[in-house]
Amino acid sequence: MKYTEFKELVMAAAAAKGLTEYELYAEESDNISAETLNHEISAFSSSSVTGACFRCVSQGKIGYASTELYDASEAQRLVDDAVENAAILETEGEAFIHAPGDEYTKVEEPTVTVPSASELKDLALKIVEASYAADERIIDGTQSNTRFKLSRTYLSNSKGLDLARTSAFTSAGSYPIAKDGEEMFSGFYSKAGDYPELDPLSIAQKGVEDAVSQIGASSVPTGTYDVMFSNHVTSMLLSCFLSIFSAESAQKGMSRFAGKEGEMVAAPCVTLTDDPFCEESLNKIPFDGEGVATRYKDVVKDGKLVTLLHNLTTAHKAGIPSTGNGVKAGYASQVSIQPYNFYLAKGGGGTTEEMYAHLNDGLYITELNGMHAGASPVTGDFSLASAGFLVKDGKKGGPVKNFTVSGNFYQLLKDIALVGDDWELRPPMRGVSCYGGPSFIVKGMSIGGK
Amino acid sequence: MISKTLLTRVLEKALSTGADFAEVYVEHTNEHNIAMIDNKVDSITDQLISGVGMRIFLGTRCVTASCTSLDEDDLIACAGRMADALGGVPANKTVRLQERLFGDIHPIRIVPQDTANSVKVDLLKEGYFAAKNYHQDISQVRANLLEVDHQILIANSDGLYAQDRQIRTRMTVNAFASKNGETQSGSCSPGRRMGLELFDMISPKSIGEEAARQALVMLSAGYIKAGRMPVAIENGFGGVIFHEACGHSLEASSIAPGQSQFCGKLGQQIANPKLTALDDGTIPNAWGSMNIDDEGTPAQRKVLIENGILKSYMVDKLNGRRMGMESTGSSRRQSYLFDPTSRMTNTFIANGPDRNEDIISSIEYGLYAKAMGGGSVNPVTGAFNFSVREGYIIRNGKICEPVRGASLIGKGSEIIMDIDMIGNNLDTAQGMCGSSSGSIPTEVGQPLIRVASITVGGR
Repeated sequence: MKYTEFKELVMAAAAAKGLTEYELYAEESDNISAETLNHEISAFSSSSVTGACFRCVSQGKIGYASTELYDASEAQRLVDDAVENAAILETEGEAFIHAPGDEYTKVEEPTVTVPSASELKDLALKIVEASYAADERIIDGTQSNTRFKLSRTYLSNSKGLDLARTSAFTSAGSYPIAKDGEEMFSGFYSKAGDYPELDPLSIAQKGVEDAVSQIGASSVPTGTYDVMFSNHVTSMLLSCFLSIFSAESAQKGMSRFAGKEGEMVAAPCVTLTDDPFCEESLNKIPFDGEGVATRYKDVVKDGKLVTLLHNLTTAHKAGIPSTGNGVKAGYASQVSIQPYNFYLAKGGGGTTEEMYAHLNDGLYITELNGMHAGASPVTGDFSLASAGFLVKDGKKGGPVKNFTVSGNFYQLLKDIALVGDDWELRPPMRGVSCYGGPSFIVKGMSIGGK
Repeated sequence: MISKTLLTRVLEKALSTGADFAEVYVEHTNEHNIAMIDNKVDSITDQLISGVGMRIFLGTRCVTASCTSLDEDDLIACAGRMADALGGVPANKTVRLQERLFGDIHPIRIVPQDTANSVKVDLLKEGYFAAKNYHQDISQVRANLLEVDHQILIANSDGLYAQDRQIRTRMTVNAFASKNGETQSGSCSPGRRMGLELFDMISPKSIGEEAARQALVMLSAGYIKAGRMPVAIENGFGGVIFHEACGHSLEASSIAPGQSQFCGKLGQQIANPKLTALDDGTIPNAWGSMNIDDEGTPAQRKVLIENGILKSYMVDKLNGRRMGMESTGSSRRQSYLFDPTSRMTNTFIANGPDRNEDIISSIEYGLYAKAMGGGSVNPVTGAFNFSVREGYIIRNGKICEPVRGASLIGKGSEIIMDIDMIGNNLDTAQGMCGSSSGSIPTEVGQPLIRVASITVGGR
């Protein structure tokens, strides 16, 4: 059964049960991907998947149920289960089905090129061949992959809202392995965009550079260092500590930014922005998971907290309009709070090279590992395995690895001494959110090494 | 879920361009998750995951496809797209499916799906409020009760037709303790491959109390100073050290493409002679157990390392072809959307020769990691990291004050040589392991161990 037919059944079942406020949200996606190992295509996949989530207000509470099986009995089960699930909740007064009336920013239908299966395979093969050619230390075990994804999102509700959006992009990645003596080094680089824009040579070269630049890396002595975090690390940190900026976390006592709107929470050089229509992003999203229109917002402006990110429930509690950040991580997920394109704005520190000069002596950190365990968004504490390069006399020096960098994110925001201009937005790792920013400098970080 | 006749047609279509093996995996999974926060039942996520994943092999090449629809036309079209991508010559193979019943070594007494929400909410509230009421400094609690009823069917062109039903239950309590503007957290999250009878074995109250106790200890702790030192790692979730530092690098998905530090090392000394480690998917009702893996191969008990000698890898069918080895019943996938590959099940270091008290008293200055958080590894370089959830300084052979903010980093091949004392209180703990074939339930375990020297991150 197709989604349109299933939708009719669910909406009819909801009305028949006497419900007056309900919504059906669905995601569909088509994927094709190719993967190489050594010089050959080792795997090729295609998928066509869909899932739908029904929500309804029952006794003032909002129940959820979702399915991937589109048939008449599932349509009825969704409605019955959502009502039954609502009955046991204890969250009266927090249920909202959004009415029409918002002004939605018009987003052009993506004019993307849909690559054929053989084009995707060719691109993957070109990347892996260019990886071998880029450096003689690249060995077997080297891989590349390419992927095309087309996704559609639908939201319809009992108040007459009927929204849809489409996104599509191709991504390509290189995963080279370099060997030096007995030691192996892995590299990684990936890029997402329209298929014709993806240059296999540059993707391969950046991956290989990542692998071979680590050759000869040693640890550093334990101590306190001035540190420059790379633009990649900036996006990783923002992604990891995002919930600090969520009104839901704040209202539940899990962010120190509760009630801090209007106060200085970061150094004056820090501006953090969430822009659903960011020009550099493949992710242009006009409505959120509750059907609310999305919009540009500075979350922190020149160090001052302007707003937290809100959905309808948190905004109602705070007595303000939603910021349009009620996002579902997957079709079946509860509405939570996520940004779209969340980034640290350029700070005037110049290019990466100019930032080395500003740092003068210290560590340039390009890699952080173990964020899911070694960093706590609630406490702000982090202690993470790191790698990067020495910076000496204002120039990038040799590679370093096997050390930890530790601190607290709340403090880190205040301690940022300089923000660069080498701004970059990373493709989304999962879900809708992209993170980005330039490199930045923090003085006096704790480093654990040899 | 799908008739044998249709499965046969799909397999034959999949083989139609010369593949030498075809497989269909059908899934029907109910997931139900009740969550509490702010003293209230806050949300219920209720999801049916339903779809089909298919694969064909020609030698070591693999083509896969998945689709949500179970409609006959969609399934045949999906198999056709897969066959087209291989693009070889038709071989006119026929398939005859022969059902195999592997039995079930994981009895379930209380199937969660058949139990009313109110009963589950009562269990969850017991755990939640045990944490909330533990101490006045407990400022927030987040708790959830997850149940998964995962039904799978695997049919392949060798004629295999097998089914399994895997029921899992887990309660997680996260407690947050706050004082003077500072917050620290504690967590406890036991799970089993069983139904609600889990809570006859482990009371929700004990789960909540353990999470709250840990948060309070950490609230009173200072930061550890970074440096290299000996570390004693306690049993249970401490086993994450072996899982990250070594386990992932012994998966065929790392070994077959040459992406592991342990390639070509079978029969060689790779770990301290005191160390024996196993991956055992056959432990009744354990979190990472199964009857059959996601390719329909029965679960096995494998000795990975015996007295420091590497004995076995964890192998799935496709990588087994690349390595010239048989499957070890290690193929796993999160769902039909993920391509299966070799993964761990219940992986642990066996009891060793040392007395636990001797391990602590042997350390003049170091860290006692009573509870570990998660971690990650790069199997190529062996570089791993993990966080210490609850740590204490050891001074002159005695466990002293608690410390927070510690992480352990190192290289897998080095640390398993440096595990130089192994105690005798083996215990296991549950986790979700994320890798290329998705997030799957795995168990880790070990007795108390000593690592002679490791880099400890802190400030």
